[in-house]
Amino acid sequence: MVELFSDIFAGRDNALVRLDPRAKLSVAVAGILAALFSGGATLPIAVFVVCLSGLFAVRIPARWVLARLAGPAVIASVLVLLQSFLVGATPLFGVSVAGVRFTAMAEGARHGLLLGARVLGCSSIVLLLGSVTPAHRVFHVLRWAGVPGGWVEIAMLTYRYTFVLLDQAAEVSAAQRVRLGYSGPGRSLSSMGILGGTVLLRSVDQASRTAEAMSARGYSGQIGFGPMGPMRRADRLVAGVAPPILLAAYLLAEGMLP
Amino acid sequence: MTVRWEKAAYVLWIVALALLPGRAYGMHISEGILPPGWAGFWFLVAAPFLVLGMRDLRIRAGRAPHFKTLVGLVGAGVFVVSCMPIPVPTAGTCSHPCGTGLAAILIGPGQAVIVTSVALLLQALFLAHGGLSTLGANIVSMGVVGGYLGYGAFLLARKVRAPWPVAAFLAGLLSDWGTYAATSFSLSAALAGGGSIAALFRMILAAFVPTQVPLGVFEGFLAAGAYRFIRTRRPELLELPAEGWAP
Repeated sequence: MVELFSDIFAGRDNALVRLDPRAKLSVAVAGILAALFSGGATLPIAVFVVCLSGLFAVRIPARWVLARLAGPAVIASVLVLLQSFLVGATPLFGVSVAGVRFTAMAEGARHGLLLGARVLGCSSIVLLLGSVTPAHRVFHVLRWAGVPGGWVEIAMLTYRYTFVLLDQAAEVSAAQRVRLGYSGPGRSLSSMGILGGTVLLRSVDQASRTAEAMSARGYSGQIGFGPMGPMRRADRLVAGVAPPILLAAYLLAEGMLP
Repeated sequence: MTVRWEKAAYVLWIVALALLPGRAYGMHISEGILPPGWAGFWFLVAAPFLVLGMRDLRIRAGRAPHFKTLVGLVGAGVFVVSCMPIPVPTAGTCSHPCGTGLAAILIGPGQAVIVTSVALLLQALFLAHGGLSTLGANIVSMGVVGGYLGYGAFLLARKVRAPWPVAAFLAGLLSDWGTYAATSFSLSAALAGGGSIAALFRMILAAFVPTQVPLGVFEGFLAAGAYRFIRTRRPELLELPAEGWAP
C-alpha cells in the first residue's frame, strides 16, 4: 500500500511540486467549488481534462491515474444508473430483465451524467493536489490555514504510524501464514484478532519509544510549526490569477457572461 | 440536449464503466457527489463533535503528553482498516471495515471522531478515497455515528453484564452497520431530487446488504479478538476511555 500513496510522486522536481502549497490549495478549493456549483457537465469535464493533462505533464503513470480514478468513477456510475431509473418523467429507453420492465428517464440520466462529471472533475483536482504536494507541506499549510495544532499533530503522527502499522501487519501476517494460521474459517478469525491485537501492541510500544525520544528532544506536548516563508512571485501569480479564471469559466458555463 | 445525444452519452457512460478496472473504494462518499448545500450541512453537523474531540484531546494531552502519539497510532489503525477493500458485486463497488468501533472503546468516542477526520483527510488527499467536499458527511457517518454507536453499544452491553468480548463484538458490529446506514442516508438525502428519499435510501442500503451484513460480523469478530488480546496482554491500555471526556 505504501507505494500507492499519491505523494510518492511529490519527491520529484517539477514546476507543480515547486509551487507553494498555499497557491495549490487555493486553486484546488476554487476548482472544487466551481465544479460543485456548476449546473452543467461542461465545466467539470474541462476541469477533469486540465487536471488529467497536469498529471500526465508531471509524468504520473497513466495506469496509476486510471486505477486511482476508477473508484470515484465506478461509484458515481452506479449512482448514474440509480438516478436514471428513479428520477424523472420523460422515458429515454427501457430494458426488460426477467420479465420486469425498467425505464430510464431523461432527467435522471442528465442529472446522473452531471454527477459523474462533477465526481471526475473534483476527484482529479484532489488527485493532482496529492500527487504534487508532499505530506509534510500539506500539514504545514493546514496549520497556516488555522487548523488547530493538536489536530495537525495527530495527522502527522497518523501518517507516520500508518507505515509502521503496515510493516508490522505484513510481518505478523507472514508469520501466521507459514504456521497455517489461515487454514480454516475458525482459525482465520482467531488469527485476525491476534493480528490486530499484536500489531496494536507492538505499535503502542513503538509509540512509547517515539514519545520518549521526542521528550528527550524537548517535546512538551506540542510540535512547533515554523512560519511559512513569503510566496514567490510565480506562486502569487498562480494564487491570484487561477481562481478568477475559474470564476469566469463558471460564469461563462452558466451563461451568466455575455 | 436532444434525446439522441442523451442516449449516446448514456451508452458511452456505461461502456466507460465496463472498461474501468474493477477495484474501487465505495464506502466513503466520493468527491463531488454531494451538492454544495448538503456538503456544507454535513460539515456543520460534524463541527461540534470535532470541537468536543479537540477539547478532550487538549485536556488529556495536558495530563499525559504521550497521549497524542497513542491517538495518532489509533488513527493509523483506522486508516489501515478502512483501506481493506472487499468487493460488493450488487453495488458495483467495494466495501470495507471501519475500525471506529474499536477505536471508540480504546480511546473514547470523542477521539474516535478526531482520528476518523484525520484518516479521512489523508485518504482523500493521498489515496483519492473519499473527498474534501464530502469530508463532513464521511466524518459524520464513520466517526460520529460509527464511533458513538459502537461506544454506546459497548457501554450498554457492559451494563447488562455481557462478557467483554461480546461487548467489543457488538461495538464493532453496530459501528459498521451504523456507518453504512448513515452513508446510505447521506447519499439518498442528497440525491433523491424530487423523488422519495426513503425509496432511494432502501435501494442504496439494499445494494450493500449482501456484503455489509457479513462484513459487520467480521468487524465485530475483529474488534472482539483485538480487545481480548489487549485485555490479556496490556489491560492498562483499556483504562483510557474512562480517563477522558466520554459523553
